[in-house]
Amino acid sequence: MIDRRLFSHFDWFTLALTMLLACVGLATVYSATHVHLQGIYKREMYWIVIGLALLLTAVIVNYSLLERLGYIIWGSSLLLLVAVFIIGKSSGGAKRWLNLGVFSLQPSELAKLALIIALAKYYSSRPLPAKGLMLKDMAMPGLLLAVPFLLIAKQPDLGTAIILWMIFWSMALIVKIRLRTLIGLWATMGAMIPIGWKMLKPYQKARLASFLDPAKDTLGSGYHVMQSKIAIGSGGLTGKGFTDGTQGKLMFLPEHHTDFIFSVYAEEWGLIGALVLFTLFTFLIIRGHAAATDSKDRFGFLLAFGITSMFFWHAAINIGMVAGILPVVGVPLPFISYGGSFLITCMIAAGLIINIRMRRFMF
Amino acid sequence: MKNKAPKKSYVRPRIILCAAMFFVFFAVIFAKAVQLQVVEGERFKKLAERQHTKTVSIQPKRGEIYDRNSRELALSLEVDSVYANPDKVRDHRMAARALEPVLSVKRAELEKRLASDAGFVWLKRQVDLSDDQRKTLDGIKGIGLTRESRRYYPNRGLAANIIGFTGVDANGLEGVELRYDGMLRGASVSRVGEKDAKGRVLLYEDMDKGHQSSGQVVELTIDKSIQFIAEKALKKAVEGAQAKGGMAVVMEPFTGEVLAMAALPSFDPNEIKRFNPKEWRNKAVVDAFEPGSTLKLFLIAGALEENTVKPNDLFFCENGAYRVADRVFHDAEKHGYLTVSDVIKHSSNICAAKIGAKLGKGGLYKYMKSFGFGEKTGIDLPGETSGALKHYKNWSGVSTETISFGHGVAVSGIQLANAVSAIANGGFLMKPYIVRSVKDKHGKAAAETAPSVVRRVISDETAGKLTKMLIGVTGAGGTGAKAAIEGFEVAGKTGTAQKPDLKNGGYEKGAYMASFVGFIPAKNPRLVILVVVDEPQGEYYGGAVAAPAFKEIAEESLAYLGVFSSLRGKALTGTASGDVSANVTTGVYKAVSSQAQGDGLASGAKAVVPDFTGKTMRSVLRMAKAASLDVDVVGSGTAVSQMRGANGKVVVRFE
Repeated sequence: MIDRRLFSHFDWFTLALTMLLACVGLATVYSATHVHLQGIYKREMYWIVIGLALLLTAVIVNYSLLERLGYIIWGSSLLLLVAVFIIGKSSGGAKRWLNLGVFSLQPSELAKLALIIALAKYYSSRPLPAKGLMLKDMAMPGLLLAVPFLLIAKQPDLGTAIILWMIFWSMALIVKIRLRTLIGLWATMGAMIPIGWKMLKPYQKARLASFLDPAKDTLGSGYHVMQSKIAIGSGGLTGKGFTDGTQGKLMFLPEHHTDFIFSVYAEEWGLIGALVLFTLFTFLIIRGHAAATDSKDRFGFLLAFGITSMFFWHAAINIGMVAGILPVVGVPLPFISYGGSFLITCMIAAGLIINIRMRRFMF
Repeated sequence: MKNKAPKKSYVRPRIILCAAMFFVFFAVIFAKAVQLQVVEGERFKKLAERQHTKTVSIQPKRGEIYDRNSRELALSLEVDSVYANPDKVRDHRMAARALEPVLSVKRAELEKRLASDAGFVWLKRQVDLSDDQRKTLDGIKGIGLTRESRRYYPNRGLAANIIGFTGVDANGLEGVELRYDGMLRGASVSRVGEKDAKGRVLLYEDMDKGHQSSGQVVELTIDKSIQFIAEKALKKAVEGAQAKGGMAVVMEPFTGEVLAMAALPSFDPNEIKRFNPKEWRNKAVVDAFEPGSTLKLFLIAGALEENTVKPNDLFFCENGAYRVADRVFHDAEKHGYLTVSDVIKHSSNICAAKIGAKLGKGGLYKYMKSFGFGEKTGIDLPGETSGALKHYKNWSGVSTETISFGHGVAVSGIQLANAVSAIANGGFLMKPYIVRSVKDKHGKAAAETAPSVVRRVISDETAGKLTKMLIGVTGAGGTGAKAAIEGFEVAGKTGTAQKPDLKNGGYEKGAYMASFVGFIPAKNPRLVILVVVDEPQGEYYGGAVAAPAFKEIAEESLAYLGVFSSLRGKALTGTASGDVSANVTTGVYKAVSSQAQGDGLASGAKAVVPDFTGKTMRSVLRMAKAASLDVDVVGSGTAVSQMRGANGKVVVRFE
């Protein structure tokens, strides 16, 4: 399975990029938690080590194996999601975790990868209609999305559900969907929004409402966004310096080591630091697109693209929400936010990109 | 064929389009970051600062109060205060049960406080806790400890009327504690700390270091030993006469320094809640009373100064009854013709009235005013009364006569003692004071009180003539014979005044103020002493009730100060600068010594060789100087031992 040539094509750049991001994440988690939540950064360190091991595994195993196992992987992720429903651990009003003794697993994170793999397998397994995907072509992918989507939305984990949604449409668009199909589907769904609104939990409604006017209620739902803006804004051009941020570590900023970690980072490193982080993410996405473009097969192309769009939507929605241009939906920032399951997912995903790029000449 | 390589023509434009879209998205976010961090950065910086910074003012340790010999009168101890954040205490009942034995507060009371809606409640302030107890408290969530400084008065009730006391926030509420509150308290230090979202202040470790400020130290003119002597003598006089209360003042006539000021009833400032506010009164300063005959002094002083009378002029005392307008004045004893000296000696009201009439309204008023009556002395204690002296234009028909013998006018103890000081020191009215100096914690003086002359009241010559007359008072046949002290000439004057009936007007039957004021040694006065006994039962004359207390204070204080009889031998001068060592300890002194020790006044009692242990070198030297001792100092730091060396020197070891 391992070919000597693989090493000559190994994507060191993406690996370095991944490790760099993980280190920035570790440092920021440390800075955010060393006052009030000591010990968190150590756990993050363990996760990085585990993640690195899984990343290398994901590089070594030929990704064609994933194609073969595509639906099985998808099915397994569903089983885990169902297990969450039955024996999951609740925290903060949401049931998202499976308690595995030493750590808790968040299956919804893995479900993203599973969806990408399953969609890539489906789209690459059939010839593309000349004018693009028709409504009937969307039935199977729709099902692949709908089952995990509903299970995750029910947890509730709106953020992850939205990411699934974005990945789904990104992939449909890249495959080529008929404009008619697209408009038809969106119009139908648009009509269903009022029903969806009713299904939202009160806190989700409040978050959406506070997004529309965050200054109105700084102590309630708008508090997150206002505090986040204060943290980012007070960082200024050059930031307050590593561990010298005040808003994050002094608990003004809720969820400062998870979803709102960018605020802590931007407070301490300023606009220049934010620019560096954007650049790293941009490089990651460019490498992902390159891996997709140069992939030797359709499955590799779709898989790399799906993963890249996952990274992109995570970064864009997360930063957009902490900066106050998107509603707060609970989407973590890849490699930076604290959280084992998501870090591992991201590391595996990065490994797959390296894998696909590495094997671009292998037929 | 499935899963062939995608065509470049298909992939490229799509990926580029997609990348472009992603790039736009990032650009939008970046633009937002620029807006937040650069355009509005300053505004957010201010918002952040407002959130996380908190200015805390740290109250420095309250300064100590010392007597003139650096003996401690008021100290500050660091103690714990226990508070709770009720909303953070999980189980109120459990917490209350755990706290009850530690705080010795009833469980029900604790539960009541924990049930409070407030975010912060005190559970018990200023408790002494052991380390174990602190640990117990640390273990209960929502319960906290803070260090507070508590005032402690090591001598309990001694000089309580002067020192006053503080409230639970270490704020001065009475006496010197109140008057010098600002200095004792010291400037509170403002530190900017960080606080977290829950309002907890995060002080950094180095914040306390190097910023330990301290209030200023106040040194009184009071001599703890003389204060003790005065309080003891006053207590004896008041109890002996079954009186309501009393006061005693001991002053240095040439400086205006108050050496002692006693008041009864008294209180223990350590347990202030146990006492009635009436018992806090520093009577000698805040209360005015009709002085009676002691005021004749100042009438005669004025008359002599104005040459209205000469010491040997004769006045007819009407054999005990004298009608002026609608009033008949009486003397305690019937007298015929008396010289002015004898008028003082026998304290004739009738002749005093006549001299007053001769001096005239204006003259009498001028001298009363001049001696400081009717206005505050300006002593540095709170709540001083100015007494009551009406302008002579408002005097009624017999006011001239009554004021001449001390009625129809009200004075304070400090006014009276201070006015007598002016006679003792040759005519200068001094401004009395109680605080000698205020120092910072390093001993550098921040303020020092220098003796200040208010005005010259009478000439040296007049003062001399008066002194001679006052010596007569304590001589054989004088009203103040009981104040006579063997070996000394005592100048003094008795006073016995009926107390005005505040309810019905006129005077209260059987209610007297018995007083004695004088100075000693008469020719070279060291001490001016006033004793007033309020409502003595049975015998009520000042000469009988107050004079013995005067004698006791004078005798013991002079012995303590090392002032020896100028009449017994040429070798002993009336100053303290002679060598004071054990072999000249008088019998009187021994008495003081034993009594004082019995009352726990250890350092003050051993005046001959004070107990230096635990004192700093500076205070040892000062104490030695005050006791006229030669000391050899060995080592540095605080005194650990002392022993008598050669030539009567005391060797003090410091470590």
